[in-house]
Amino acid sequence: MSAELLVESVSKAFPGVQALDKVNLALHGGTVHALLGENGAGKSTLIKIITGVYRADAGNLKTNGEERFFDSPIEATHAGIAVVHQERNLIAEFSVEENITLHNPPLRLGIIDRTERTRLANEALTTLGFEIDLNERIKNLSVAQMQLVEIAKALVTKAQIILLDEPTASITAGETVKLFEVISRLKSQGTAILFVSHKLEEVYEICDTVTVLRDGVSVLESKPLANYKQSEIVDLMVGRHLADRKVVIRKVDRQVNAVLELKNLKTSLGHESVSLSLYPGEVLGMYGLVGAGRSELARSILGLHEITGGEILLGGKSVKIKSFRDALHVHRIGYVTENRKEEGLFLDFSVRKNVSVTILSKILQKLGIIHVGKEDVVASKYVDRLGIKVVDNDQLAGTLSGGNQQKVSVSKWLAAETKILIIDEPTVGVDVRTKASFHELITELADEGLSIILISSDLAEIIAISDRILVMRDYELVGEVENTKDYPSISRSIMSSIHSGS
Amino acid sequence: MTFKSFFRNRMTELSLTIIFIVGFLALVSTSQGVLLSRASLQGFLTYLAVPIVIGMAQMVVLCIGQMNLAVGAMGGVSTAIMATQMADHKVSIPVALLVGFLGATAMGAINGALVVLTQLNGFIITLGTMTILLGVQYRLVRTFTIDKYPTSLPDFGKKNIVGFPLILVIAIATSVVLSMYFSRTGSGRRVLATGGNALAARLSGVSNSRSVFIAHTLSGALVGVAAIITIASLPGINRSIGGDWMLSSFSAPIIGGVLMAGGTVAVYGTVIAAGVIRLVDIARAQYSLDPSIVSLTVGVVVLSTVALSEWRRRRTVRQNEGRKVLPA
Repeated sequence: MSAELLVESVSKAFPGVQALDKVNLALHGGTVHALLGENGAGKSTLIKIITGVYRADAGNLKTNGEERFFDSPIEATHAGIAVVHQERNLIAEFSVEENITLHNPPLRLGIIDRTERTRLANEALTTLGFEIDLNERIKNLSVAQMQLVEIAKALVTKAQIILLDEPTASITAGETVKLFEVISRLKSQGTAILFVSHKLEEVYEICDTVTVLRDGVSVLESKPLANYKQSEIVDLMVGRHLADRKVVIRKVDRQVNAVLELKNLKTSLGHESVSLSLYPGEVLGMYGLVGAGRSELARSILGLHEITGGEILLGGKSVKIKSFRDALHVHRIGYVTENRKEEGLFLDFSVRKNVSVTILSKILQKLGIIHVGKEDVVASKYVDRLGIKVVDNDQLAGTLSGGNQQKVSVSKWLAAETKILIIDEPTVGVDVRTKASFHELITELADEGLSIILISSDLAEIIAISDRILVMRDYELVGEVENTKDYPSISRSIMSSIHSGS
Repeated sequence: MTFKSFFRNRMTELSLTIIFIVGFLALVSTSQGVLLSRASLQGFLTYLAVPIVIGMAQMVVLCIGQMNLAVGAMGGVSTAIMATQMADHKVSIPVALLVGFLGATAMGAINGALVVLTQLNGFIITLGTMTILLGVQYRLVRTFTIDKYPTSLPDFGKKNIVGFPLILVIAIATSVVLSMYFSRTGSGRRVLATGGNALAARLSGVSNSRSVFIAHTLSGALVGVAAIITIASLPGINRSIGGDWMLSSFSAPIIGGVLMAGGTVAVYGTVIAAGVIRLVDIARAQYSLDPSIVSLTVGVVVLSTVALSEWRRRRTVRQNEGRKVLPA
């Protein structure tokens, strides 16, 4: 029997919001079904209901003909549903093999059968076409490798229904190709696959059918994807026509002194000789594949890793930056991290306290007491400017949705009013509309005189908002492109630097 | 801050207050009002001071996600310093108290410096310093009871301010200052930031080393305050002082709503939780109950308080997930 999952008229409300409203979705064996929608449209909630994390308020769930909701993720696993979450659920101290068979280790006489375990893990990894030492600890793997282990974990349960929540968000193009081969193979074996992604190009490459959620409503239900153009899908997701953004070529004066200059910088992480200049009010894009060494360069400049050679010049003067604290308060350089949850936010802090953490010394009154009034003004300023959706400034950051958390994380560094801001992958996992607002914001900030280094793996993003683009490969700058914002020609020259090097 | 959001984050403290009031009234009514007599009320309040202060000494280290196992040993050494200064070296009371207080603060600072320098967890460092300090305490006090110091000190410990024992007033005042420190000063906010997310704190320009050092030093200073209260309220000092501090220093903040993972403080929660624990002690003494029944009940009550607040916290988090403000 071929696998089948039917979501019928499912509704779910949280206080103050109807997260899902009579949503329908039909997932059949042998197809890849795209689930699309902006952040907060209800995709994650739907997945959580299917896998028994949440209880639906109304509606039906039919799995292979059996009508019932699951009370826990374990029940869903037993019914043949596997889910690969956006957040990787692996145990860092366990080996690859142990993680792959974690949910259901093969037992003999109540003791784990190691030979069988190795066989199962090997089988799953072979299916994936992925070679790795089975005894390697997860903590020693790259993000992409972890993602693949996570998928192997789903394969080993022999699931007939696999839900992939943004599986390509953090893996390289080459690995994506491999993953798609696996998906195709699973599809031909009759597995039903639900594919959630923000990357529409990929969706068109791999998916057969599509469901679009908007504000908790399924505005397009299980239709053949080929019948819709990409722009139509975007319109359905956003609910209105996104006005085509005007292409603006900004004028950046590069005759003046650079605000930041790197001269033959060598780091303990493997950069041999990196040289670049950043000019006042410039948006300098830094493109590269995941693992090219861009974030590592940024973090080294800011004092997190050792500089072993070369020079950093700020406004023409050679400086030594000892720590992020030094960078922020003395040299006025900020760094917006790509990992908002792990590095960007204090989840138990209110929005107000999150925003003010970088400027505590500026909002003090007598005796070192924080002026809460001033603090609130600053918080409100950024809540308004970035359109952060909050009940009030005292709402805890941990209770906000992903896009809003990202905005809070960014606010903190904007509040510091630095001269230079290094922004690392600002729009990963962020919906179309939030992404557009981030792009506008970055341009605005540059117009106000802030000098920005934008690290991004999203080619369209880099081309849309940078003034100049540097290309990094294997810890080396391999190309520099003056951005004319002509997508076809710019993307061609960037890709050729990536593939041929210099 | 709106009224609603004020209570949104303070459910544990609210329920503890209710438990305290109900428990107190129950004790008063079943003891035919004996608890309300001047002497027993005085005893109740006097012996509340030390648990409050050592609870806070532990809380400030818990809030950076670490533990201070040396709380008791530091208190023991600190009181021993004060007592020997006065008894053996005839140092005046204020000077002796100050030296003991600074000694405790220095011990905390050493803990902090060791944690920062070795990059080991506070648990291991304070386990080590605890053992060393217990040795120091024994060398200072031996098996004697030191009580040959001016009687004006015990008199000071018995003073009242508008009916409240002076030492309890000191404890409460300390907690008010501490509460202000965490909620309203830049330094306190940075310490909490380190506890909440050390990596994010670092990227936001907070020095985690400094936060860790401050938290441990503050813990030492609070132990110093507890030592002053102790020496003022006891007739003499022996080597058992501080012996029962370590475990009880954990119960008040944890019941009071401080997360073991760090990032939060609950000063009022710690104070009121110390009060609840004190009530249980009183009940045991009042009814000369079978200790086994008492510890059984206490254990169940403590666990259910913690479980209840945890359940409520999770429910709130779950309800808030995916929360959005509807367009007006």
